[in-house]
Amino acid sequence: MAFNYDSYLRVEKMPTLWCWGCGDGVILKAFIRAVDKLGWSKDDVCLVSGIGCSGRFSSYTDFNTVHTTHGRTIAFATGVKLANPTKHVVCVAGDGDALAIGGNHTIHGCRRNIDISLILINNFIYGLTNSQTSPTTPQGMWTVSQKAGNIDPTFDGCKLAIAAGASFVARENVTEPRKLEKVILEGLKHRGFSFIEALSNCHINLGRKNKMNSAMENLDWIDSITVSKAKYDKMSDEERLNLLPTGILHQDNEAAEYCDMYEEIKKVHQKQRKVITQDDFAKKI
Amino acid sequence: MTAMKAPENTPVWVDESRCKACDMCVAVCPAGVLAMRQEPTSTLGSMVEIVALNDCIGCNECELACPDFAIYVADNKDFKFAKLTEQSKARSKAIIENKYRVLG
Repeated sequence: MAFNYDSYLRVEKMPTLWCWGCGDGVILKAFIRAVDKLGWSKDDVCLVSGIGCSGRFSSYTDFNTVHTTHGRTIAFATGVKLANPTKHVVCVAGDGDALAIGGNHTIHGCRRNIDISLILINNFIYGLTNSQTSPTTPQGMWTVSQKAGNIDPTFDGCKLAIAAGASFVARENVTEPRKLEKVILEGLKHRGFSFIEALSNCHINLGRKNKMNSAMENLDWIDSITVSKAKYDKMSDEERLNLLPTGILHQDNEAAEYCDMYEEIKKVHQKQRKVITQDDFAKKI
Repeated sequence: MTAMKAPENTPVWVDESRCKACDMCVAVCPAGVLAMRQEPTSTLGSMVEIVALNDCIGCNECELACPDFAIYVADNKDFKFAKLTEQSKARSKAIIENKYRVLG
């Protein structure tokens, strides 16, 4: 007996179009195991993906899937969730998709704290379009658009999500598939916006000119820049430089969820309650 | 859990139609059970081979690391796995040093 992924896949589309050793496959497997552990029916899950290598998630999985325009996963998912509040909506986006072109949607999804899980696959580069600088490309790396070395400062998606108001923020690494599965499971279970950053490898487009020619070399580099949250908390500011903490970074189970608040709006229109005032919110605070 | 039935008396098996020969399973195997053989018809010119079937310890690392749904490990209820020995550790190290290729 072994875990049968095929019951969650569109088997006729296998093998995947991803490059050999791509972390996307490991993340997809971790996600499937998490859904299986939760025991959710395939009909109750809607998977929304955008453009990029991560966009293939919607083609390969046998859930209700939407393959949307570049960066607009959260916008589409918000609509799906508001129309079907009892269903589970999951977004999959890459770093270019969710932090660059769709950065605005990500921020406002986090701000509303709507019950969507966003799995952000961060491979530090625009992989599908062949190595352009993304918002997370480390400074000094070679990219097609900055051949003399990237000078753009990077930004931290998890810090952004916490600041914007997401109630569950976690980061994990594809070299730890069991931990990744656990973090995705916690994120899917959480009611509110779950932001899960999965650090992944792109040895083809990030590694080829940055001395990481194989998947293992690229994963070793990712291992070297990540450290568990427990260790990270004990470090001094100097030691923390260029390191990323992994694990559940922020969780707030008390924050108001957007669909719940939207139900109140419906009640106003159905004349079941008076209009929502600032005082109503003040009471909760 | 949706389960897949294992072939009889097999701890680990490979779906060669899905394998892209990325070397990941070989790199993570602590017991040197897997290695890459030459395979001219494969995209990267190689294919994963199970070189020491009886030494599999059932740690599942290869299955978890495989991005292409190509390698599967039996459940420990169905198969009695071997213990990790010094010999298998040495073979694993030798295979990795041999650029994941079959030894000899």
